[in-house]
Amino acid sequence: MTTPTTCLASVGTALPGDPVDNATLAKVLGINEDWMEVFIGTRTRYFARDLGTGEVRWSLADLCAQAAEKALAAPDTDPAEIEFIVLGTATPDTLMPATVNQVADQLGLDQLPTFQLQSGCAGAVQALDVARSMIASGRFRTGLVMGGDVCSKHLDLQRDLSAAAPGDLVNHVLFGDGAGAAVLTDEPRGQRLALRHVLNRFTGLGREPGQIIEWFGLADRHDDRQALIEDYKAIEESVPVMAVEILWEILGELDWGAEQLDYLLPPQLSGRMTRRITEELDVPTARDISCVADTGNNGNALPFLQIEKLLERMSCGERALAVAVESSKWIKAGFALEKI
Amino acid sequence: MEPIAIVGIDCRFPGAPDTGAYWDLLMRGADGVGQVPRQRWDAKEFYARAGDAGHANTTEGGFIADPDAFDHEFFTVSPREAAAMDPQQRLLLQSAWRAVEDAGIAPRTLAATPTGVFVGIMGNEWAHLHLTDYGNVTPQTGSGNGYCMTANRISYHLDLKGPSLAVDTACSSSLVATHLAVNALLSEECDHALVGGVNVALTPALSIFYTQAGLSAPDGRCKPFSSAADGIGRGEGVGVVVLRRLRDALADGQRVYAVIRGTAVNQDGRSNGLTAPNRWAQQDVLAAAYRRARVEPADVVFTEAHGTGTGLGDMMEVKALGHHHASRADTPMALGSVKGNIGHTEGAAGIAGLIKVALSLHHRVVPASRFAAKENRQLALRDHGLRLLKAPLRLPPGPTVAGLSSFGMGGTNAHAVLESAPAPAARPRPAHRATPSGIGAAVFTLTAPNTEALRRNLLTQADAAAARRVPLGPLARSGNRVKAGHRHRFATTATDTAELVAALRESAADPALLARLTGSPTARPRIAFLFGGQGSQYPRMTAALYEQSPLYRHFLDEADAALLPHTGRSVRDLLLAGDEAVHRTRWTQPALFAVGYALGRTLTELGAHPAMLLGHSVGEFAAAVLARALPLDGAARLVAARGALMQELPTGGGMLAVRVAQEDLAARIEREPLIGLAAVNGPTSTVLSGDLDALERIGAEIAAEGVTTRRLQVSHAFHSPLMRPVLARFATIATEVGGGVPEIPVYSTVRGRVLDGEAMGASYWVEHIGATVLFGDAATALLADGPTHLVEIGARPVLCGMVRRLDGRAPGTGPAPVLPVRGPESGGRELAEALAELYRGGVEPDWDAVYAPEERVPHALPPYTFSTEHRFWSRNPVRAPGAVAAPADEPVAPVFVPRQQPRTARALDLPGSAADPVADAVLDAVRLVGGYTDAEVGPHDRLYEDLGFDSVMIMELKNRLEDRLTGIGTLTVQDLLPRLSSVGDLITFLRELGAAAPDFASLGDMEEIGGMAETGDMEEIGDMAEIGGMAENRALRQEERTA
Repeated sequence: MTTPTTCLASVGTALPGDPVDNATLAKVLGINEDWMEVFIGTRTRYFARDLGTGEVRWSLADLCAQAAEKALAAPDTDPAEIEFIVLGTATPDTLMPATVNQVADQLGLDQLPTFQLQSGCAGAVQALDVARSMIASGRFRTGLVMGGDVCSKHLDLQRDLSAAAPGDLVNHVLFGDGAGAAVLTDEPRGQRLALRHVLNRFTGLGREPGQIIEWFGLADRHDDRQALIEDYKAIEESVPVMAVEILWEILGELDWGAEQLDYLLPPQLSGRMTRRITEELDVPTARDISCVADTGNNGNALPFLQIEKLLERMSCGERALAVAVESSKWIKAGFALEKI
Repeated sequence: MEPIAIVGIDCRFPGAPDTGAYWDLLMRGADGVGQVPRQRWDAKEFYARAGDAGHANTTEGGFIADPDAFDHEFFTVSPREAAAMDPQQRLLLQSAWRAVEDAGIAPRTLAATPTGVFVGIMGNEWAHLHLTDYGNVTPQTGSGNGYCMTANRISYHLDLKGPSLAVDTACSSSLVATHLAVNALLSEECDHALVGGVNVALTPALSIFYTQAGLSAPDGRCKPFSSAADGIGRGEGVGVVVLRRLRDALADGQRVYAVIRGTAVNQDGRSNGLTAPNRWAQQDVLAAAYRRARVEPADVVFTEAHGTGTGLGDMMEVKALGHHHASRADTPMALGSVKGNIGHTEGAAGIAGLIKVALSLHHRVVPASRFAAKENRQLALRDHGLRLLKAPLRLPPGPTVAGLSSFGMGGTNAHAVLESAPAPAARPRPAHRATPSGIGAAVFTLTAPNTEALRRNLLTQADAAAARRVPLGPLARSGNRVKAGHRHRFATTATDTAELVAALRESAADPALLARLTGSPTARPRIAFLFGGQGSQYPRMTAALYEQSPLYRHFLDEADAALLPHTGRSVRDLLLAGDEAVHRTRWTQPALFAVGYALGRTLTELGAHPAMLLGHSVGEFAAAVLARALPLDGAARLVAARGALMQELPTGGGMLAVRVAQEDLAARIEREPLIGLAAVNGPTSTVLSGDLDALERIGAEIAAEGVTTRRLQVSHAFHSPLMRPVLARFATIATEVGGGVPEIPVYSTVRGRVLDGEAMGASYWVEHIGATVLFGDAATALLADGPTHLVEIGARPVLCGMVRRLDGRAPGTGPAPVLPVRGPESGGRELAEALAELYRGGVEPDWDAVYAPEERVPHALPPYTFSTEHRFWSRNPVRAPGAVAAPADEPVAPVFVPRQQPRTARALDLPGSAADPVADAVLDAVRLVGGYTDAEVGPHDRLYEDLGFDSVMIMELKNRLEDRLTGIGTLTVQDLLPRLSSVGDLITFLRELGAAAPDFASLGDMEEIGGMAETGDMEEIGDMAEIGGMAENRALRQEERTA
């Protein structure tokens, strides 16, 4: 028996509310607008939290369900066929219940296996990997894969940042909120986007984390620890190198030449970093599909936002390759797509 | 056999007030069984642990909540009639309505179709209680009882003309009814069939019977195939499903729960005792159903068993199934029975199983069978190729075949083979439409017979939409299609579901808002389209609508394509680009034409068909196209030429609006050869046009007299003598284009009246250029012809206001203004608002045009929520002293129990009622015959439509009127019938006859006060009810002592 070809039949995404531009963010947080343009290169982002009132308007589950609903409403997909759900996120609404189950509830799905992968920027890729394995096993034919993050949990609107150091400032302007979803099938349907390969590999043995997000409980909630720590130096240094390796590993695995690549989906750190990495990846024949400058870094939503953008252009027979790096504990991730 | 689709479901079972709750109960493995409610009978009274003669061995069973509640007003059934109706009739009626709605069908659209009604029923306890009370048998008691009426009433109230019958084969009744319905559909006797099953336990008779026959479980619970199985527990319920031939359901894009592939019915014949189950007959009926469905037994994944949980019954059923399945020991068939959750619902047992199987196939998971964990090992299920559903069984993708058994106590067996819905039916493809569709916002509509019902149902919809993610378009479209047909029409617009939920909740909470969003049209709408002229244009006009609405986009593109050969540049692109050139008449005229045409066509495509058209000046071209007097291409050519020619004229002309009557200007105009009367917009609203210097002179003169004048921002002196140079060239083109007689009345601003068989041809359009725009006269003529709605077809509201000023009526009266475009920001939302307003006013939109293709998929909304305010019940059955069943001195007449007893509102209802004994007498008679309370009947009520009167009641009313009124002699029904449209009409008629009322007090229908709550004074009723209750309690206490 041949292994079924895992395909993305449809994709849906959700971004909360209206885009927040740099001018607005500058006003709210007291950050220099020009600095954001030049050093970050992200123009707009979306927040699930109201910038004025601080009120939470959407939970991660809300955003994931919105995205999933769009994916499930697409032609050639049927919610009744969904046999499993996988969600990748670094920022679940609660530790329990797992957000994936709240999403299932919102979608009216029941009696099926659900998985939630705790992961940063590689979570969406890991979710695709799990789904691909499940479909390849022959036990499942259709699944729902989601990725999403609500980073605005750490957007402290009370703080005055006019005197904050750049390393601290970055955390406030880099991130955004959002979610994405895709319906995966064991045969070409809908968008007919074959998932040719998925790379998901831990490579951080002995390495200090590049990024830490803390969580606090009753016992330590008053600790004066920073909730979000990033080693930007390490990230700037390692991510481009890892990205290049990921690209070539996947190409090698599939025996694709770089010139056969029609689209490249590079890691989405910030507008500026992504531009830099794309240059280093150096596949001039492939069109760059990036979104972070408009969406902000919303973690595990990014690959879906990129795929959605990709689908607007991609025609039959074309190939795309996505690269993602999780700098927390240095995870290499990526996947290859072909429209058939 | 041809597959039959289950397209609609509604049900109520113990512990589950609706279909969703039923599924939830099953999936939770919960139990709907509890103590016999006091309302039914005193369980202790009839209980004896050892099951002594005349007693039951249990005080428990599966009872539904609120069996006494009935929304009699919804079905226009009088309280008196409702009180006499078997609750099984009432429950079925409500459930039938809801099931049809669940099928995505507005129940009224089934009226007069040959839809069949098939009801399975075996309990007739209401009749036992009431038809033996001979003194109280009324016409209503007659039609309120009997199996036939359960089905016939559904046919009557929904106006269904197909076969209508009730089936009693004991416990298999409702599956046998399903079998008959399937056959009726297959033989094309009907295209839709409603199958119902119902069971309400009003007396302990069957509990006693089961006990005496050794069949009653002491804990009142069926424990199917369990080692603890020890007999039957009784259950209640009502369920209705809507069936269609699968091909019809697929053709209509209906949602299909599951498919019936084959049914069979047979009989034990002369078996081992009349009531004993017979395995040979059972295995035959299984074989027949498999054969008819063309399935192999091994194809059947699970079977919903009859499974009463009696030792013998379970054993026989397993053996019969084993005959077919024993060879599949490796992949045993899953087995379960819903009786473990809700008890044996007798006449409704078949429908309870059918709904469970349909929902299982729909949700692709089969609930666990309650009490299955302790399997009865003596049944050796595995050896028979069976396994009990100890946990829910998730069904794999692809087709799944299931079985369903129902066996009657007298030996009539039924089996059905079902299958999961074919993939496209589980999620039908969007409904097809030739033209593009979608207006960029959704219009949610819901109708109800009164405001309270509206509020209640808005909340139901809000709760359902908020409960989980629901796509807005399919949701709103379902409301449009299914929630139609009642008098009060609610409509609101939304662009996402959360916004809709908030709007629905707000409307339910705020009476003023609800009133604003609700219309109750009494007459057919007559829509007038008003097309704006020059001056209303602006850059990017309707651009937002173009971007948001594919429907509008289509028609603007169409107009643009028609204009392009003549304008040389896309008018659409000019508009979208926000080009200021739109103010140059060369572009103004084609742009206004394009917008007018596109908006007008968009609205007609949405189902808003104008009965009258009026265009201000250049607005008349689009009006002429809609009236089919000009083809689009021809009109486009004319407008483009008209604008271009006028643009070529030298500048130096202008226009001046003056607050002076036309006549008062005549002398001044005569003195100025270069000035013309451009427009007469109203009695003192006039526009002059012509040479700027001349205008200056006249303006100064008028201003000197203290009258307001205003220079219009125009490039040229339209409708003035300065236009003469273009006439010849325009005439050449106009002659080539031609033009016909409008097919929709056009109120011409050239003529100042409706065109009467006159063609809108070359001469008309040439004259149009120089003629005074007689808007005031044309609009006055239009108003005189009685439009209900004035729709502004233009990029901003101008003409509606002008017309309303002419009308001079108070705001809120006269024709309603409708503004699809309110200004530069207007998009899909405003267009949707306009459509909502038209809908409230009685227009029947073509809803499919509102939604994008991907939104045109079925979406199940919660069905109608009925009022539970009114309750109807009988006195409990009690054990009479000795062996007699019913005490002779205690009439058991059914009673209407008013929940709320508001003070009478009679004075408010009846103008001048204080001293109107005739009206009082008539109202009292109507109340008496209908069983209404005082506040419920007023002079405006219609006897048939609102009060549910029928011919029997009219006869009774006639007699009562003759008793109560003097001076009318003997009424004949023939005289009476034409004057019965409303209670007020009847009162007037009787007054005309010279009716007078004798002293009211002497009438005193005291004998009726005791039985029915139907006299005027509510306090009095309250007292009487209390007295009745006390008497009853006394009787109960007495009997407790004697028992």
